[in-house]
Amino acid sequence: MIVTNPDQTSASTAATKLEARDLNIYYGKFHAIKNANLSVPQNCVMALIGPSGCGKSTFIRALNRMHDLTPDARVEGSVLLDGENIYAGGIDPVTIRHRIGMVFQRPNPFPKTIFENVVYGPKIHGERNKKKLLEICEKSLRGAALWDEVKDRLDRSALDLSGGQQQRLCIARCLAVDPEVILMDEPASALDPIATSKVEDLIDELKKEYTVVIVTHSMQQAARISDFTTFFLMGELIETGTTSSIFTKPKDKRTEDYITGRYG
Amino acid sequence: MASMDIRVGDTARAVSPAALQRSGSQTILAVLTGLAALASFAIIFLMLFFLIAYAYPAIRFNGIEFFTSGIWNIGNQYGSGTMTRNGFSAQPGASFGALVFIFGTLLTGALTMVVAVPLSLMVALSLVYTVPKRLRPIANALVELMAGVPSVVYGLWGMVVLVPWIGEKLAPWVTAHLGFVPFLGGSAGSGNGLAASVFILSLMVIPIMVATTRDVMLAQSNSLFEASMALGSTSWQAMTRAVLPSVRSGVVASVLLAFGRALGETMAVLMVCGAAINSYPENIFSPVNTIAAVIVSQLESALTDASGMAQRSLAELACALFVITLIINVVARGIMRGADRREGRAA
Repeated sequence: MIVTNPDQTSASTAATKLEARDLNIYYGKFHAIKNANLSVPQNCVMALIGPSGCGKSTFIRALNRMHDLTPDARVEGSVLLDGENIYAGGIDPVTIRHRIGMVFQRPNPFPKTIFENVVYGPKIHGERNKKKLLEICEKSLRGAALWDEVKDRLDRSALDLSGGQQQRLCIARCLAVDPEVILMDEPASALDPIATSKVEDLIDELKKEYTVVIVTHSMQQAARISDFTTFFLMGELIETGTTSSIFTKPKDKRTEDYITGRYG
Repeated sequence: MASMDIRVGDTARAVSPAALQRSGSQTILAVLTGLAALASFAIIFLMLFFLIAYAYPAIRFNGIEFFTSGIWNIGNQYGSGTMTRNGFSAQPGASFGALVFIFGTLLTGALTMVVAVPLSLMVALSLVYTVPKRLRPIANALVELMAGVPSVVYGLWGMVVLVPWIGEKLAPWVTAHLGFVPFLGGSAGSGNGLAASVFILSLMVIPIMVATTRDVMLAQSNSLFEASMALGSTSWQAMTRAVLPSVRSGVVASVLLAFGRALGETMAVLMVCGAAINSYPENIFSPVNTIAAVIVSQLESALTDASGMAQRSLAELACALFVITLIINVVARGIMRGADRREGRAA
């Protein structure tokens, strides 16, 4: 845990759920993330902020090994989930992604029914019992605050939903595999203000059961929903701390410049 | 007052020619595009019309026998008299049954799809998701190159390399060791035949299918692939359960396009098919014939038919091929529309 502020001592008593150590990420020769160290405490919301192209999305994708899918990306260093390095040899990235779910910038439901979308993960992991799947479906949709809106049309195509509903469906789909950590890469950037506020309320609920790491473009959003905030600039992790300390007493000049609106 | 009038007149003169010009050029554009759209229908319609008109005597002469008989015989050129049915005559002993060719066309086409569809999907999926980025341009260029090779080149390669290999190595071994399996036993033949045709046709349609399905996948599903992977699926599950269902209509379209190509492919098939006449294939190495190939291979002898019935019967074969491909296209559109509706896209 990087303690940057005395305010944080109460939070730092919470166990560290996810930790990046000396993380370096390259795209070909481009050094996208430079030696980042970060701890995420359990049952908290950690916001990653910074200007476009600063590497925050690159960083979050390293936390569940999504870079394995990008042919020219290379990750060095380690990411510890409950103290265990997910990049260690012999670790199956598939089981890691089962424990660390992800919600993407644009809602990306499968062109299937609402029900089939939610139970996609459980089915892949071998659940065949229809009654069990229906239970998981309801629980997940309730968890994503979508159940009341869709309970009568679970057999309709997910593509008929509005953008905000689709994003909550993607969150429900992620909850259905019962992860421990949820990574969100600008989950509200493609949504209108009302849908955004619903997703933000939801994130606040989610931290009771899950640990949430969220990339956001909006400092206001970070201030509203997160317990901790980390600032990235040009591939460097500049500063991390409780959200209130980052926004009121930033230690680094660059953080201050960013939150007072001096860069993009 | 007078000056007012002049001003009004000026304005009218200034505006109306421009307005006229605009509506005039729009009318011309509308007429031209309308004609162009009409032309594509007209060309298809006229081609079919003249083909049927030319084939009409054969259609009357052959009757239903065209579809039920497998005997193709232009009759005895030096025989006496003519043979007349329904008011149309041919050389004595003539019989124009197309069943061998219709069967051969559908069989080679279907077997080609059985070989080519799974292979093409695998290649397309790997080009999109698993081939290292550095190698992708090379692999893509190879696919496009394969699609651009003229069919006669495939045919010649088939004739000088593939057919001798099948005839001397593959067919004798298979018939000897796997002869107990249906359609693998019996005569090994020369190498010309069903297996060679299917192999060559597969080489020709795989690049088309790979290119079209790859483009469909690139257009829409990287986010679905990632979504599936982020839920803890294996990449095989992501491809088969998330990506492929989402591109189903595109895949069906590309398969049917390729099927149409396989049915109509002429030169390469003609060079390796063994040009079977009056015999059905006994096993996968037997000679076959397709409608397209037989039209070319029988044209020269048909021209010696003084009654002209042989040429007209070849035209009837062309009509049959036309109708078969038309049916496949209509079915393809139906399937795609159905898939779109199920997946909630606008049809």
